[in-house]
Amino acid sequence: MNELALKELLYKMADDLLILGHRNSEWTGMGPILEEDIAFSSMAQDKIGQSHALFQLLHQLGEQAPDTVAFTRNAEQFHNCVLVELPNQEYDFSLIRHFLFDTADALRWEMLSRSSYEPLAQLARKIHGELRYHTLHANTWVKQLGSATEDSIGRLQRSLDEAIPFALGMFEESPYESDLVTDKVFEGEAMLKSLWMAQVEKVISATRLHLPDWKLINPVRGGRMGKHSPHLQPMLDEMSEVFRMDPTAEW
Amino acid sequence: MKSLDPRVNRLPVPGTPGTIVPKVPLDQFGSFEVFVQAKEGKPFQHEGIVHAPNLELAFVLAKEAFTRRFTCHSLYVTETRDVFVSPTTEAEQNAYDLIEEATSPAAKEPYEIYHLPRRGKQHIHAGTVTAGSPEEAMWLAKQSLNTKAVFNVWAVRSAAIRRTTPEEAILWQTLPDKKFRDASDYKGGDKLKEFLERRNA
Repeated sequence: MNELALKELLYKMADDLLILGHRNSEWTGMGPILEEDIAFSSMAQDKIGQSHALFQLLHQLGEQAPDTVAFTRNAEQFHNCVLVELPNQEYDFSLIRHFLFDTADALRWEMLSRSSYEPLAQLARKIHGELRYHTLHANTWVKQLGSATEDSIGRLQRSLDEAIPFALGMFEESPYESDLVTDKVFEGEAMLKSLWMAQVEKVISATRLHLPDWKLINPVRGGRMGKHSPHLQPMLDEMSEVFRMDPTAEW
Repeated sequence: MKSLDPRVNRLPVPGTPGTIVPKVPLDQFGSFEVFVQAKEGKPFQHEGIVHAPNLELAFVLAKEAFTRRFTCHSLYVTETRDVFVSPTTEAEQNAYDLIEEATSPAAKEPYEIYHLPRRGKQHIHAGTVTAGSPEEAMWLAKQSLNTKAVFNVWAVRSAAIRRTTPEEAILWQTLPDKKFRDASDYKGGDKLKEFLERRNA
């Protein structure tokens, strides 16, 4: 098994979950209604937990401890896609991003439950229930707001149009793509992307929203190679502020 | 004048003669009752309410509002207006004593029956009866489920309940691991004591 390829996969997944988990947690106390605030915060916490589990796998493969990798790297050392680091904006954008990301995330983990790398397959089976809730939450809201009022439909549509090019950047291929497929670690971004498109189309078709023509979209890539938007570094500074005050402190 | 409070719909100022319009609905979500089964085999217990635009979203939101800590085996929700409530009693009187005979010509369907065994506690699922109306359901429950004095009885049509599907049983799979959501698990007092002892040593 190509260990470099495996680490690259684990890093990008862990970084996606850490960054989006942190972004979504910025809604805590400010959600649109109390119940949604709690649900969104819980799912943000799940994402941080999932990223922690991935950082632990990396630690077992010889990388630094989870807190060190989470809190001491700079933006260009992060492998997350640009979609997850974008500011929250209004709730419609956060919700659409949650839908687009979590649909891909749930499918990715489902593929990984068949991974030849057993610790990853085990983790996939363990968090299956969390992912099922995240997609249930996302799909139910998108179906509701995507068919409710002119205002809600218009807001979701504008957010969808804005997020789609970034969402396609989730599937930016790794330099080791063929190794991962050959080693049966992960069936690859191309397969994930086609499964994701089908699922997104299925949910959106149950609403009054419409998807753009996939062929006309220019995906925003670069995140997986450390090329980020200007929004990531300030977020990392804030996220690691307390940790950096005393990196040896025990919590 | 339009109020800034979305709940307030003032009577309109005198309008054009002859115009009749429907009453404007409240700009708010309805409420839904949440029932939780903490462990397999235990009865469902009423835990509270959530606000939501529909039954499905009530289920989604209830899951985190009421089962994000400790254990949960299953959860269900129903719209508040679908819960029928018996008279409530004081002190030693059994609420079933206040339920009178009722029959219904309507088609029979299952109703879930809940008891309030103690004041200030939650309603607990007691059993199921097959009836044509909530009144008939309570009357039938009086025959079959009236074993101990209760303060109040609820009846809900089974068909009005959004239950956890078998595939959704995994939703709470990792819940027992989430000790960080339990404040007592942090043992703040012990940590403070340790710190003070270290400082004074």
